[in-house]
Amino acid sequence: MKSVSPQTLRSAVVVFLVVGILFLALGGFLRPVLGAVMDPFVGAQRWISERFMEVYDFFTLPRDVADLLQKNSELTDEVSSLQSQVIQLQEQLREADVLYSLLDFARSRPQDKYIASAVIGRDPSPFLHYIIIDHGSDDGIQHGMPVVTQQGLVGKVDAVTASAASVQLISDPGSVVNVRLQNQIADAQISGSVTGEVTLEMLSQNSEIIPGEILLTSGLGGNYPGDVIVGQIVETNTTENELFQTALVQPVVDFSALRAVLVITNFNTININSLVPTAAP
Amino acid sequence: MLTNFIAIPVMLVLTILQITAVSRIVLFNGRADLVLLAVAAWGVRERGKNVFLWAFIGGLLISFTSAMPLLTPIIPYMIVALIARIFQDRLWQAPILSLIIVVFAGTLFQHIFSIALIQLNGVNLGFLQSIQSVTMPSLLLNFFFLFPVYVLISDIGKWVFPEENYE
Repeated sequence: MKSVSPQTLRSAVVVFLVVGILFLALGGFLRPVLGAVMDPFVGAQRWISERFMEVYDFFTLPRDVADLLQKNSELTDEVSSLQSQVIQLQEQLREADVLYSLLDFARSRPQDKYIASAVIGRDPSPFLHYIIIDHGSDDGIQHGMPVVTQQGLVGKVDAVTASAASVQLISDPGSVVNVRLQNQIADAQISGSVTGEVTLEMLSQNSEIIPGEILLTSGLGGNYPGDVIVGQIVETNTTENELFQTALVQPVVDFSALRAVLVITNFNTININSLVPTAAP
Repeated sequence: MLTNFIAIPVMLVLTILQITAVSRIVLFNGRADLVLLAVAAWGVRERGKNVFLWAFIGGLLISFTSAMPLLTPIIPYMIVALIARIFQDRLWQAPILSLIIVVFAGTLFQHIFSIALIQLNGVNLGFLQSIQSVTMPSLLLNFFFLFPVYVLISDIGKWVFPEENYE
């Protein structure tokens, strides 16, 4: 039998030792030992690296500042551009929200046909409460058509041009809308005022006014469709000596924040003037 | 001649600004009136003799956009122009003072005229309530917008009459 040479035996022992140490290291048994050995080296390396980077920064900083200023300027421009885009998108989102709400309202009343219009202006006279919308006779809008939002009644079309229309709000001093109380069989009228306050009038003394009661259009007179929410009674002003009761009404629509409205196009106003009796000559 | 033509775009821009932006700026129930301010600011200028044309164009544009009876808004603007020319003759060395007086008197006249006109159309506004809740805040807003409009009109005046630099 050929004897194993001492060199081969030494190599085998070295291999076994290396493999053994590797297994011990992989098994985590050498971590404390390695830690104790490596920590001073790592600490020294960190210290040298930090000192080197400080020296490096000292020599290269002026060039980097110029680069950074340029990058900062570019990023500032980009941020401004993105902020402008964000504002535009938020505006579009707000408009989309309003349009979605109007769409929901239109779906809830499938019997009506609507044209959605944006509010593009207000009457220049402070005594009148009118808005100007961006659709006119070219889009099928006619005088007298009722105007609503998802919240409720806004008013009616008063004047029409080819591409725009003027809408008289229910808060206008010249506006009168026939309404009914939601929970009682009682008809009344609401009228606007120069201050924009809406007042319930012509309500019989037999009816009981309850603050918080909802008012709906009655459809009487043929100017507005029935059952459109108008507002809510806020405060009563009942006097026994008067023929009718009055109350302050909070409209459901915030007229100062109107952005878009729906014009009901398939509602035909009825002119009842010929039916109103006139005094005999 | 240019001053006559310049009235059209200026009044057009001011009318658009009035119905889209300024009418949304509400103090109680009052609103500023850019067209009135422009007429007053042009009228108190020494070379603002054609202010009546400015008033007519402004009133015409406003009457097309307002629910007031057609062409009636022209009348108060013409009166404002007249007041402005009267004060320009008497207080020509103090255009700002003239302007303040013209805007005060003009706003009061315009609002009383509007109230009377609306009442004649069968709508009961309530005179005192209208003065308190609409006219007084409108006066304040008109004074607030007075100086920006005056500066704008002065710049237009200097552009139209380059030799005029006394203001």
